Amino acid sequence: RFSLKPKCHREIVVNEVSFVRKCIGADSSHGDLWGKLICTNFKVSFITHDALPMQRFQVANRLLGEHDVPLACVEQVVTVNDAKGKQKVLCSNQKLKFNPTELILYCKDFRIIRFRFDEAGPQSAKKVCLAIAHYSQPADPQLLFGFEYVGKQYYGSLAINSIPTRVNGVDPGGGLQMPLFDRPSEWDREIKRTGAAEWRVCSINEGYVVSPSLPEYFVVPVSLADQDLKQYLCFFTAHRIPLWCWNHPNGSALVRMASISDPLQQRKLDQRICSAITKSHPQRSDVLKSDLDKNLPNIQDIQAAFVKVRQICVIEPFEESEEKWLSSMESSRWLEYVRAFLKHSAEVVYLLEGKHVSVILQEEEDRDLSCVVSSLVQLMLDPHFRSLTGFQSLVQKEWVMAGHRFLDRCNHLKKNDKEESPLFQLFLDCVWQIINQYPAAFEFTEMYLTVLSDSMWIPVFSTFLFNCPQQRTENSMDFAKSKCIPVGGEKALRFPPVWDWSQQFTPKDQALFNNPMYVGKGATCVQNGAVKSFRRTKKNYSSTLRGMPSSLRNILMDGHDSLTLTRRNSLVSRLKPDFSQIREVVESPTERFFRDWVSRPADLQGMLIPQLLPSHLALWRLYFLRWVPEASIPKGGPVTAYHKLSQLADEVEKLQSQLRQYKGATPASTKTSTPSAPPSDHSRMYFKAGSTHASSSTPEYLSSSFPFSPVGNMCRRSILGTPLSKFLNGAKIWLSTETLANEAL
Amino acid sequence: VRSFPVPLALFLSRSPSLSFTRAPSLPLSLSPDKDIIYICPFSGALKGKVFITNYRLYFKSADADPAVTLDVPLGAIGRVEKMGGASSRGENSYGLDITCKDMRNLRFALKQEGHSRRDIFDILFKYAFPLSHGLLLFAYLSQEKFEENGWSVYKPMEEFRRQGLPNDKWRVTFINANYELCDTYPTILVVPFKATEEDLRKVCTFRSRGRIPATGGGYEGDDAYQNAELVFLDIHNIHVMRESLKKLKDIVYPNVEESHWLSSLESTHWLEHIKLVISGAIQVADKISGGNSVVVHCSDGWDRTAQLTSLAMLMLDSHYRTLRGFQVLLEKEWIGFGHKFANRIGHGDKNHADQDRSPIFVQFIDCVWQMTKQFPTAFEFNERLLVTILDHLFSCRFGTFLFNCERELRSKTVSLWSLVNSDLSFYQNPFYTPESNRVLYPVASMRHLELWVTYYIRWNPRIRQQQQSPVEQRYIELLALRDEYLKKLEELQLSDSSPNSSHLSNSSTPNAASPTQHITHLHTPF
Repeated sequence: RFSLKPKCHREIVVNEVSFVRKCIGADSSHGDLWGKLICTNFKVSFITHDALPMQRFQVANRLLGEHDVPLACVEQVVTVNDAKGKQKVLCSNQKLKFNPTELILYCKDFRIIRFRFDEAGPQSAKKVCLAIAHYSQPADPQLLFGFEYVGKQYYGSLAINSIPTRVNGVDPGGGLQMPLFDRPSEWDREIKRTGAAEWRVCSINEGYVVSPSLPEYFVVPVSLADQDLKQYLCFFTAHRIPLWCWNHPNGSALVRMASISDPLQQRKLDQRICSAITKSHPQRSDVLKSDLDKNLPNIQDIQAAFVKVRQICVIEPFEESEEKWLSSMESSRWLEYVRAFLKHSAEVVYLLEGKHVSVILQEEEDRDLSCVVSSLVQLMLDPHFRSLTGFQSLVQKEWVMAGHRFLDRCNHLKKNDKEESPLFQLFLDCVWQIINQYPAAFEFTEMYLTVLSDSMWIPVFSTFLFNCPQQRTENSMDFAKSKCIPVGGEKALRFPPVWDWSQQFTPKDQALFNNPMYVGKGATCVQNGAVKSFRRTKKNYSSTLRGMPSSLRNILMDGHDSLTLTRRNSLVSRLKPDFSQIREVVESPTERFFRDWVSRPADLQGMLIPQLLPSHLALWRLYFLRWVPEASIPKGGPVTAYHKLSQLADEVEKLQSQLRQYKGATPASTKTSTPSAPPSDHSRMYFKAGSTHASSSTPEYLSSSFPFSPVGNMCRRSILGTPLSKFLNGAKIWLSTETLANEAL
Repeated sequence: VRSFPVPLALFLSRSPSLSFTRAPSLPLSLSPDKDIIYICPFSGALKGKVFITNYRLYFKSADADPAVTLDVPLGAIGRVEKMGGASSRGENSYGLDITCKDMRNLRFALKQEGHSRRDIFDILFKYAFPLSHGLLLFAYLSQEKFEENGWSVYKPMEEFRRQGLPNDKWRVTFINANYELCDTYPTILVVPFKATEEDLRKVCTFRSRGRIPATGGGYEGDDAYQNAELVFLDIHNIHVMRESLKKLKDIVYPNVEESHWLSSLESTHWLEHIKLVISGAIQVADKISGGNSVVVHCSDGWDRTAQLTSLAMLMLDSHYRTLRGFQVLLEKEWIGFGHKFANRIGHGDKNHADQDRSPIFVQFIDCVWQMTKQFPTAFEFNERLLVTILDHLFSCRFGTFLFNCERELRSKTVSLWSLVNSDLSFYQNPFYTPESNRVLYPVASMRHLELWVTYYIRWNPRIRQQQQSPVEQRYIELLALRDEYLKKLEELQLSDSSPNSSHLSNSSTPNAASPTQHITHLHTPF
């Protein structure tokens, strides 16, 4: 009667138990659902034929059912026995001395899901709980479901050559049209796109021979020969020599690098690297170094902040946390860190754009903080990265290829909690803050960012499974060998990148990613009543940057001497305003630069600097509060405006395509005829223009949580009348002690 | 021309009749050799010229690029003081210190020779506080003309009729026609059907200032409050609110408190008060929509009562969420029922420490703003209307918010609604989707309440000054684009209708959003 749906290939049922009740409301059993709880090698599944009350899920994931939780998304497994007053946090390979009456799953995406076993077979219930605990903490990366998932395409396929391979970044399966930066040609194109004439693709790491954490191909100054680089390698932490990130049209480069491990070589090497970067600058501008470790919170700080913000948002009882909400948010320091990263990135933007110098982001290992800063800087300066594919290629370039340790930072193996840190989440929050301030500047929505974040916990995507490209290759080969999978001439198994969104969503649902307000390249808009088409030519992009306004030239001269490399690491401390002085109106050049920029109308196709005052940073409510029923605004929230915007944008698109058909058919305009209009059901918008007046009113199912729903996803439980939070003090949210016997009695 | 801090002209400039030159004025311009220095908290000391009329203070810097201007209605000035002695320097240099009611302070430094400070001080003091000097408020001098007369926005009988009053439970009484019963109540009242005129007179003798229970949104308790459920809403008094806003100003002007922003904001309690008012209004609205009648009262019935009744009415009655309906709501619940604007704001009065002053109305408008944030499509008006209302709460340019009760003569002044209704589209929320009968319950939680930065922090030049929210702006652009395309399509279809060209007749399948449908629909207004 109950069957697993959707069921992925190679998904195996490990254990299951029937007559389970899934709790829907927090305090009463009203509306609870009956069904079967299943643990597979991929997910925890709850199969029910009952419909959720007052609920209409709008977006279905192709890999997951309505009630499913991927094992990788399970943060903690808590079993409870009411009668005995016992509770235990289950870990892998543990024993459970009591029969659980209840199972609570705390999820990485902030959900809290509760199952009751009152009517279920006690032994089966126990087995399922143990299985969930065991399978959610795999001992080896190859036990992550992604390997089975990706292996499917090889099994039974003897003619390996018949599997088409990717050509020029186009994946035949997903129809992906974006660079993944795992081949030289894609770097070449990026060099051309940014006009970085004095930079070249370097392939000394082909086969990962010189550094395991670097990509096989990366970009270096033309003046540095492979021979030089090989010589410098050993002086850098983990052999991570400087990597080119991006070129400003004025010629300034953004570069990231690890620290120099040999202090004796420090000075000499610094000079060589800097002079090479200077040589690659058309104006031979200086190079400034920004020490990220010194100026930004470290990964443990960030993790601690995230744990606290989660505590405040979903663990603590709603009403009790109201009174001190603002100061609790402050003490979590999450927004402070978001601001710190935005601010630091904005200061780097000032150096590249306002001072025309190249910047090196330096971090001990160059695999964490620099991922955040380099991508934020590029988002602020280059409108290309604010398009959907541009953004995805940015994450691919600065995170995946640069070797961000997704496996460790996500803690997929739950091996080392000290390595866990939500850097990518922090980055997404920073991006959200910019979107929140410039809502028409990005092609994608906050729903896209949220879904992207959730995808970290679905362990099938190459994007989030590995610490670096080399690890992917190595693990692939090991796995293929052990399972006798014929991989042919391929370097690694073809894990789908998360960017292949068809793995998870229908094209219709993917339309939720599209921002109806987006004013992108080529987008039509109305200015002063006249319909205009934004078409940024290469010329006008560079000219705004090359033709330096006089005010900037002065700044350039003013602070010039003190901002050179001779004062290593002093950049950010100098730029950081000292508030004891600022009272008497001493404006730093950076502030002056920002203020000048703010006084002009914002060009969404140009540089974007977010407002950095703490009063202008906000909590990302969709992400943090989507599961909290008390915080949900029925038929309200920003999505109601999004709904209207989408409908209007859809109508405009339809009119546009009708006009195009006219023009295409007119003989006079054949020269300029545009490609045939897309069929009308291929609208980019999720909400379509309606026929009647009634359809333009806000649909009943919209809420501030849309497309998510708190129903059944947030069951904070009071243990024997005592708020759960009383038990749960300390940095880690949930106790890992054996039992809490009789604590509350 | 870039102006910062953003002058009031941002909104004022919409009305040509009060342009700087045409306003009735008593100009005082300092001769160029007597420089004045505006000590700008953001860009430092700025030399320039100051002009003072009987309506405003205007400053323009001479050498800053771009020029810095200030445009402050004298009505917004709460306090003017001389500061500094002959030897003082820097921030405390010899000059004037002006405290404004609209969340900013201004400092000017002057040369000591030539009595220029005394001259300016005297003029400012006299015209910023006309009532303390036997002069009229500016609203009486302004001769502005508008297309519409805002005083006719609210017609009590019409509004009663819209609500289905009178009926068998409620009747209209003219007992207060000459304000004999209660001088702070409107002339036309709706009272319980069974209450006789004699009853009303008796009740008045023991209610504070003769304020009998009357209907707001058509609700009222039993005469004797039998079986009444008493709910205390824990909303603090006017003095607490005044101090709270003062603390808020301290952390946002001139500089935003950076190091401990959220806990500083919490310690002002401003948002907490907002939350209590909104949740009080939700309780009132909830009781009413559940079929109960509610008596709302505070000590005098013109502060929290007005806040709660009007917010509850906004939640329950979609009519009040329209541009004109909102004006009616303010006329009825605030002006009609005698919120003491004159005392709470202290129009034209030099006594800045008056304990009667309190930002009750500002707080109410903030609550409305919070609701518009939670329901972006439910209100016909936009944020600009709310800011304009608050600007003219202080400006003394219109008679709307000048008085303590309806009785005081307003006919010699111009209504703010004359300005607003002569340019309605400027204040329209493009996302507005009329949904009559929809009850709107905001979430009164700190998780959703936010500081209204575009009002409270608008003087900071580090913040991008946007005339309009970018989301609204984009929507309007798209609307214009749609109209443009429709027009083109219509033209093409017309030229197509000749028998020769049949190539397009049915090539596209214009579905629901059929252009012809829209053309007819769209062209009606023209």
